[in-house]
Amino acid sequence: MIADLADRRLVVCAGAGGVGKTTVSAAVALRLARAGARTVVVTIDPARRLATALGMTGLADTPQRVPPRPVLGDGAGEMWALQLDARATFDRLVSRYAPDAEARERILGNRIYRHLSGTVAGAQEYMAVERLHELIDEGRFDRIVLDTPPAANALDFLDAPARITRFIEGRALRLLLRPAHAAGGLGWRLLHAGSSTVISVLERLTGAQLLRDVADFLADFEGMHQGFADRAKAVRTMLMSDDSAFLVVSAPEADPLAQALSLADRLRHDGFPFLGVVLNRVHPLPPGGLPRHDAMRDALTAADAPDPDDLAARAIATLAEDQVLGLRDLDAREFLRTALHGGQVVEIPAFTHEPVELSGIAEVAAALGP
Amino acid sequence: MINGTVPGPPLWDRRLRFVLGKGGVGKSTVSAALGLAEARAGKRVLVIEVAGQHRVARLFGAAEVHGEQAVELAPGLSVVSIDPERATEEYLAGQLKVRPVVEMLTRSKAFHTFAAAAPGLPELVTVGKVWSLAIALDEEGAPAWDVLVVDCPATGHGVAMLETAANVEEMVGQGPIADQAARIHEVVSHPAATGIVVVARPEELAVSEAVEAVGILRADGLPVAATVLNGVRDARFAPEERDALAAVAATGSTAVRAAAEAALRHLGHEEDDAAYRERLADAGVPVLTLPEVVLRRFDVEALEVLAGHLAAGAGATAPAA
Repeated sequence: MIADLADRRLVVCAGAGGVGKTTVSAAVALRLARAGARTVVVTIDPARRLATALGMTGLADTPQRVPPRPVLGDGAGEMWALQLDARATFDRLVSRYAPDAEARERILGNRIYRHLSGTVAGAQEYMAVERLHELIDEGRFDRIVLDTPPAANALDFLDAPARITRFIEGRALRLLLRPAHAAGGLGWRLLHAGSSTVISVLERLTGAQLLRDVADFLADFEGMHQGFADRAKAVRTMLMSDDSAFLVVSAPEADPLAQALSLADRLRHDGFPFLGVVLNRVHPLPPGGLPRHDAMRDALTAADAPDPDDLAARAIATLAEDQVLGLRDLDAREFLRTALHGGQVVEIPAFTHEPVELSGIAEVAAALGP
Repeated sequence: MINGTVPGPPLWDRRLRFVLGKGGVGKSTVSAALGLAEARAGKRVLVIEVAGQHRVARLFGAAEVHGEQAVELAPGLSVVSIDPERATEEYLAGQLKVRPVVEMLTRSKAFHTFAAAAPGLPELVTVGKVWSLAIALDEEGAPAWDVLVVDCPATGHGVAMLETAANVEEMVGQGPIADQAARIHEVVSHPAATGIVVVARPEELAVSEAVEAVGILRADGLPVAATVLNGVRDARFAPEERDALAAVAATGSTAVRAAAEAALRHLGHEEDDAAYRERLADAGVPVLTLPEVVLRRFDVEALEVLAGHLAAGAGATAPAA
């Protein structure tokens, strides 16, 4: 799988929440850096220990270099990491396209904007895409690995930019919230008194202030949405090109697997370069069968174990459980291979300790195979 | 339950429960198990899925639940899934009372743009729908449900959903929406009626996110009743046994070695789990633990195991304590 990333500038790791996307993203970045590329991994919400391991202090919206370590190889490669700050990215986007300082301040202070850039579903996904655009423009990195934001649905990542630019464009609402033509007017005014039943109904429900804020917001974005839409489109084009690769990360459990499959289908259907699935945290099937109780007990007696008889029983029971987990994950793998219709599958074993240190990331990186 | 007290009665005495946590920690599993435990005790339970999800229904091997009708998955246990768009229409219908006006509104593109922008509207109508289910009555005029369990979206969005009723007044100002938000907020923040459960797995990010969420929710005056550490390995080995196991893992025959290695891994997990449990307890609310279920297929049988575990825990921490 790593060999197939040789000429891909962008690698996107997508998948359901809780499957280890951040870990896999960091591991892919580590491999690319080891191979000599100057690589940056864009993380969304790394565990604090992982962030520390990657050399990130606090909310690092600008790339920070992971201190050189033997696991990163001794070639020319470098590994960098940054944590996406959706709000700051959105603010920069506004600053870039705002016609003047006054308009910029007005937008940044508008509560509809503050809500949109902060918590609205999709804003984080959209800004991850925008951050890619910035990094490509900067041209500092040979490779960019993107860890996609956690979402209820892994497909949100693909739909968010279009949804949010459509909203900002807001043609339909614009028609109803006509601009005031007064010279130097403060944005748009609502047309009142029956000019629009929709507006008057909304106003009855929410009070006039909210509508006025939405109107002001849309008015301030007038003229900017084209720039936004162009950028989102440019990144989408890049993501669809052969310069990119999509990896879908999954865990060997029913729900993430179902999401991984629909994501893979969707990526292929829409023409994104889907490379394969990284099946994370797979329990290996223990070799051989269960030991006989007396053999286990004798080995433990020879090792001076306290109460070897009981310990032997517990150890054998534990191995039996590991077999069940191994079989369960074997089922998951078979299901995935049958249902995936093409695309690679790489398995990462379940490690005893969670890979939150750079050494753990290196173990995952090694498991990604050639 | 250990370490920590919260205002209000134990989780078991709160009628409306919201289940929150990072993606992948098993919120739906915990919701289903909580519901099943109560249904087994003879209660009429409704599990509510939000954002158009159907995970709980799938856990029971049921076909996806469409429409607004609750579907019974097991004796006493029903599930319903709230679709925010349909809930918005329903909500507006209730507010406006004039069907053609509602239809006009929901057909209008301007309305959909507005709904997407209006801060918290989808969250508010979702919580509003939960609220209306909580106050629903059966044919005899008694409350339709004894216990309601809401399987919330992942942490960030889940917290936003619970906060929304409190914030909406600030955002919307005045009008029928603000009035209803105030009524909903009263129920959501009521420590005797409502309990929030924050779920984590014994993993770094899941635990730190849970601790953070508990802090945010409590600072907002929202009634966190418990945290759940899901997928905990049972206490099976002692640290004194490590040396002997390590010696056998290095020298024994294949099968003997494999068993010793499995035991060592288990011991490692036990120690990690205990540390995570302690960190979760630092959040200052009672911690419930659910065992890792080792079955080849996670199905109703696994849910029964977890429900039994929760029920036993509930008995052991009865209000007398």
